[in-house]
Amino acid sequence: MEDHAPLEGPGIEEPLDLVKLSLDERIYVKLRGDRELRGKLHAYDGHLNMVLGDVEETITVVDVNEDTMEEVVRTVRRNCEMLFVRGDGVILVSPPSRSA
Amino acid sequence: MESQNTQDFTGFLIGRPVIVKLNSGVDYRGILACLDGYMNIALEQTEELVNGQVKNQYGDTFIRGNNGNQTQQQRERRDAFYHRLYASHSHNNRQNH
Repeated sequence: MEDHAPLEGPGIEEPLDLVKLSLDERIYVKLRGDRELRGKLHAYDGHLNMVLGDVEETITVVDVNEDTMEEVVRTVRRNCEMLFVRGDGVILVSPPSRSA
Repeated sequence: MESQNTQDFTGFLIGRPVIVKLNSGVDYRGILACLDGYMNIALEQTEELVNGQVKNQYGDTFIRGNNGNQTQQQRERRDAFYHRLYASHSHNNRQNH
């Protein structure tokens, strides 16, 4: 019934295969709440719950100066040795090595 | 187009350039590699657009379903349907009529 050839070769038939191929690779994860993670993917499931190792989390915070109403964007970074990510916060997963 | 149902349609879109719109207002433009019943989507040559401007580029991306996805076909010759849909979310380069 799949009459199209998967673009990325035999490895990818469904979107989660892209995540499967990223196991033990460093990936980029975009989360709700203006959070981003970069870390090594140790495990995942169909909810996109993930265990990441050696993680750098980047949080983008917008501060509003109440006097001038100016918006100041700043980023907060922190590192975690091991992190469990609940899948419902995930927006996007990408292998960072191939990102520009 | 001869699509009878949504699966035919999304099957028809595989390998084609699409725009995936999330409810947050962020758009992802890329080649549709595959998708599943949750509307998890794999894109290639992905561009992330915020307010119509490219903010990021990724080689491959997995976009989780349940983020309010809408997929649109991006045609070489953009037809009126596409134009109207696209214009409704565009803030920069396309006319809004």
